[in-house]
Amino acid sequence: MKEKILVVEDEEGLRLLYEEELKAEGYEILTAQNGREAIQQLEENKPDLIILDIVMPVMDGMEALGRIVGKDRKIPVILNTSYPGYRDDFMSWAADAYVTKSIDLTELKNKVRDLLEKKKVR
Amino acid sequence: MKKVLAMILAGGRGERLYPLTRDRAKPAVPFGGIYRIIDFTLSNCLNSDIRRIYALTQYRSTSLHRHIQLGWNILSAPLGEFIGVIPAQQRIDEQWYQGTADAIYQNIYTLQHERPDVVLILSGDHIYKMDYRTMIAFHLEKGAGLTVATLRMDRKYCQEFGVIEIDEGWRIIGFQEKPEEPRTIPGDPEGILASMGVYVFDTEVLVRGLIEDARSESTHDFGRDIIPRLIRNERVFAFDFKQGDRGGKGYWRDVGTIDAYYEANMDLISVTPQLNLYDPQWPILTYQPPYPPAKTVHVEAGRVGTALNSIISNGCIISGGNVRRSILSPNVRIHSYAEVEDSIFLEGVDVGRYAKIRRTIIDKEVQIPEGTEIGYHLEEDAKRFTVTGSGMVVVPKWMKL
Repeated sequence: MKEKILVVEDEEGLRLLYEEELKAEGYEILTAQNGREAIQQLEENKPDLIILDIVMPVMDGMEALGRIVGKDRKIPVILNTSYPGYRDDFMSWAADAYVTKSIDLTELKNKVRDLLEKKKVR
Repeated sequence: MKKVLAMILAGGRGERLYPLTRDRAKPAVPFGGIYRIIDFTLSNCLNSDIRRIYALTQYRSTSLHRHIQLGWNILSAPLGEFIGVIPAQQRIDEQWYQGTADAIYQNIYTLQHERPDVVLILSGDHIYKMDYRTMIAFHLEKGAGLTVATLRMDRKYCQEFGVIEIDEGWRIIGFQEKPEEPRTIPGDPEGILASMGVYVFDTEVLVRGLIEDARSESTHDFGRDIIPRLIRNERVFAFDFKQGDRGGKGYWRDVGTIDAYYEANMDLISVTPQLNLYDPQWPILTYQPPYPPAKTVHVEAGRVGTALNSIISNGCIISGGNVRRSILSPNVRIHSYAEVEDSIFLEGVDVGRYAKIRRTIIDKEVQIPEGTEIGYHLEEDAKRFTVTGSGMVVVPKWMKL
């Protein structure tokens, strides 16, 4: 069965890019436009991994991260943002990885693969 | 000078102190006439020059909030000093605190906001006098990520405490929660090191430890979960309470039961109490309502207002009654011909004429009618009041008699 990745991203262009690129890697993709939708997706569709933007309307990624690990403490979460400064936020340490946004998705894809591997071992 | 933030866990339900904890959290339970239990921890902080303090509350917190607001509004905000009370507010997660570690984790944004170098985690449940500066100095000197304050106890008490196992250099190598077979102190086979629930953490070690704990199968408790996990990867040391004990007698009490609460109170009326409240270098601060001084009235045959071997707080009037070996909180009245022995009365208790009371704790604002006897017929008392295994009677707050 395909592994499900939830992409949480408010910018439509990026969301579509991630969706296409990750589908090509063989994953099933769910999407959400903000933290609140992400939590709804988490509860309804049980993704295997979450890629989480931080700066989003309605509910931002940092806020969502606390709620996500409160609901499913084992789910791997990758924070994905243009702003490296959020690394200083204590809450960001609750993510399994922190990837700065780039048009080259190699780092992000590698992290996704690593974390899904680790999850299986666990 | 390192930036220190104290976080006091003040949410304890104190179920074994029921009914004293029916209306208030354990840290807010009155003690020693004029104090609340949390006053000892707060006084330790101020006397240790720690003036950035948060108390984390949860259950039945109104009384504690009021006490801190009335009695502890004494720091200077412009100097960056504060005593803040933070109720459980579901900032991170939609649940109440799941354990001591979760209580701090749920307040991770407060840590973020303050950005201290070290965090001192305290319990608001204990009575002791300790200079936390000696512990913080020890922590820094050892280059520790976490330091746990410990107290030597006889091994027979092991099932009441978290037991810390150390090597010769006081580095912690194990933790047992209330074990049957405790690991004893190296070179002291009859002694164990009990955790006092006092921790000094490097902030980063704390935050990473809390997050790892939040993301694990866990009871979210500092003793059971955080310490065992951290001793694998961090330098974790035990601090000997004797090095920081400001009373000098190793006095530390978790007044967790009615009997322990009674004994700890009664110690204060002995000639030389183990807990010295008279040290001007280590004052215990509190809030006292502005009552007039205590007084005794009436001196005539059979009707002499007396109080012997007792603590009498402001506002009390011993009016022709007789009080022995007891502790009276503010504004207690003892009317003529009443006899009171070995008892603790909280604020506003009124004992009517000819009443006879012994070995009884009476909570606030209870009126004892004329001629009532309590503590003399325990089977009868047990029909109306709480009676402990050792025969202490407890009359709850506002009870109508």
